[in-house]
Amino acid sequence: MIEIKNVTKKYGENIALNNVSFNVNDGEIFAFIGHNGAGKTTLIKSIVGIHDFDEGDILINGKSIKTNPVQCKKEMAFVPDNPELYENMKAIDFINFICDMYEVDQVTRENNINKYAKMFEIENNLNDTINLFSHGMKQKIALISALAHNPKILIMDEPFVGLDPKAVFDVKEIMNEMIKEGKTIFFSTHILDVAEKLCSRVAIIKKGELIKVGSMDEIKGDKSLEKVFLELEN
Amino acid sequence: MKRMISLLKACMTQNMNLFKVANKKQSQTTKKILPILIALMFLFYIWSYANMLMEPLVQVHQEITLLALFAFFSVMLTIIEGIYKSGSLLFNCKDDNLLLSLPIKKSTVLFVRMFKFYVFELLYNSLLLIPAMLVYIRYVSVDITFYIVSIIALLLLPIIPIIISCIIGGAISYFSTKFKYKNIVQILLTTVLLLAIMYMSFNIQGLMANIAESAESIRNIITVVYYPAGEYVNQVTEFNIINLIIYIAIHLVAFAATIFIFSKIYFKINSKVKVVKPISKDKKYTIKTRKPMMALIKKELNRFTTSPVFVINAGFGLVLFIVICLVIFFKFDGIEDILLEQGIDTSIETIKAYMPVILFGLICFASLMSSITSSMISLEGKSFNILKSLPTKPFNIVLAKVLTSILIMIPFIIVGNLILFVKFEFNIIEILMILLASFVLPLVSETIGILINLKYPKMDAESDTEVVKQSMSTMIAVLLGMMLTGLSIFGLVQCVMYGFSTELTLGLGLMVYAIVCAVLLLYLNKNGEKEFKKIDA
Repeated sequence: MIEIKNVTKKYGENIALNNVSFNVNDGEIFAFIGHNGAGKTTLIKSIVGIHDFDEGDILINGKSIKTNPVQCKKEMAFVPDNPELYENMKAIDFINFICDMYEVDQVTRENNINKYAKMFEIENNLNDTINLFSHGMKQKIALISALAHNPKILIMDEPFVGLDPKAVFDVKEIMNEMIKEGKTIFFSTHILDVAEKLCSRVAIIKKGELIKVGSMDEIKGDKSLEKVFLELEN
Repeated sequence: MKRMISLLKACMTQNMNLFKVANKKQSQTTKKILPILIALMFLFYIWSYANMLMEPLVQVHQEITLLALFAFFSVMLTIIEGIYKSGSLLFNCKDDNLLLSLPIKKSTVLFVRMFKFYVFELLYNSLLLIPAMLVYIRYVSVDITFYIVSIIALLLLPIIPIIISCIIGGAISYFSTKFKYKNIVQILLTTVLLLAIMYMSFNIQGLMANIAESAESIRNIITVVYYPAGEYVNQVTEFNIINLIIYIAIHLVAFAATIFIFSKIYFKINSKVKVVKPISKDKKYTIKTRKPMMALIKKELNRFTTSPVFVINAGFGLVLFIVICLVIFFKFDGIEDILLEQGIDTSIETIKAYMPVILFGLICFASLMSSITSSMISLEGKSFNILKSLPTKPFNIVLAKVLTSILIMIPFIIVGNLILFVKFEFNIIEILMILLASFVLPLVSETIGILINLKYPKMDAESDTEVVKQSMSTMIAVLLGMMLTGLSIFGLVQCVMYGFSTELTLGLGLMVYAIVCAVLLLYLNKNGEKEFKKIDA
């Protein structure tokens, strides 16, 4: 479970997040939507411990990311929107590095790496250096690294950007599979159709303020999510 | 022309901001004052050195030799630095896709890159030449023509060396692309070339052993060997407007011609440099488990070995250390005569007796002048967020960087030690203390380096060269290294002059550095995390 409690983040005079509060429950897929620059990435980076925030707290399964960052991070995996991986490393070395940092045992990592590499049809490229890869391939490597340590919570920033249709389908399948196992998924997206079909709950952010949060039915009623989002934005 | 100016402006703003750091909480005052302070300290250091050289020259009325020497030094420095900088300043830059998609001539892109290179070298050269010029004015009365000629020379002197280094750097980059392990080939070729250039410049420096007697010959050699430096000296002694115009024209034409000719092949080389050969599809990948600290060290080693400019920059001082040890090994027997020529009357036995102290001083030099960690945070660039999201304490991440750099340094230092252990009779206590110093001094140097880089990171560099050679962090590290080396050598000399035994001198030196090391590590443990979190990639 992710509990976001009155989080405020400022960049100098600019307020990137203003007193944002909501929960993401176990076993749900939660979408976080908003315009470019609304504060989505800032909140995601705060949740995964990349950014500090000025006020409030974020709890990961009851532990504060501020006071227990290492324990919190062990329960999560993060897939960034623009995967800035170690360009000079071989893909397999990068995945191994992430697994080492999460102290994943040999059997688990072999099973997961082989499974996801095959699923994303990238097993023949794992010996190549990452600077050879396209954006989509890098995204696949970031996804394999994130999934290889069986995280309880998966956090993704625009996970479908740059992926080919087959990979998008596979990621959706993985998300559904994780939910069946009682895991939690929190992701930001601009693709509202995907959010509407996949997610049980959604939060909408505008200029750092949370303007709506609730179940998909509560938020959209009879309308489409796209229509509701555009109405709220205007 | 308008587009070229816009492009220059954009690139210079992006790349020339040496002192832009990714630590948002740093005050504006610090950001403005610190660069000025660093520049002033460099200027003062060079000014003191120039004064020291000037004194014997004044006695033989050869003041002009100082200008010849400094002009020559600046040229050699630009060539040496330029050869390994040009590889990553000109080729495979991060803004390739953006610039090459713009509706501008390819030669304009090359011009902008070479111009950036020129401006950097102009800054470095100014730090060398301005103090020399000031010292010259202090001793010789000059007229307005001196100032005109000096400003023109200051602006023109970097041009020919950057042309030379671009050609050599381009040739090395192109040749390396023909090999599977092109980085290794590039590192080896550049190192061999740099050692050859250093050997040549050592010969010139050999003449400086007795500068007053050799002043005229030094000046003559420089005048004959290198026209731009020689003509500057000639213009200072005898101003001639026609020759000055020819001097300016030669430089400008050379720069324009290089861009014109080089642009014909530059983009072919650039696209070849970008090619990364995929590994055979048949090769099965291996999945291997490591402890987190080992994984971090392996990652750091990978980053280090895949960046030629990083390897060469870090290895330069360390290779020089071994070269000095080898010179002592082979040339020690003639050292008495060399020292006598310098007016130092001491017996070979005395030097032998103090060899452990000399070696300690050399280890200080090799360790403190080779700060690898001062660019390790900046080199993470945008991927720094990966480290931030890892389930490990920031202290472990920075410690891995420090340990990696020590692992790189120690083998070089041990080899140097062994060379001198074989040549001279060290007792067991001296050997143990030297070996301990070989660990403690790099640890001090690298902890200082990482602290500086945590405070002054540059996370948006366009190339590794910008981080390794042109960032505030590495400049502060170099300056601090110079100061600490000077202080260490001063301390060691004082101990020897007070008649302390070698064991006591080494013990004191070691104790001081062990305390400094402990304090630095405690500080890193206490404040490193705070600084780490402040960095915004």
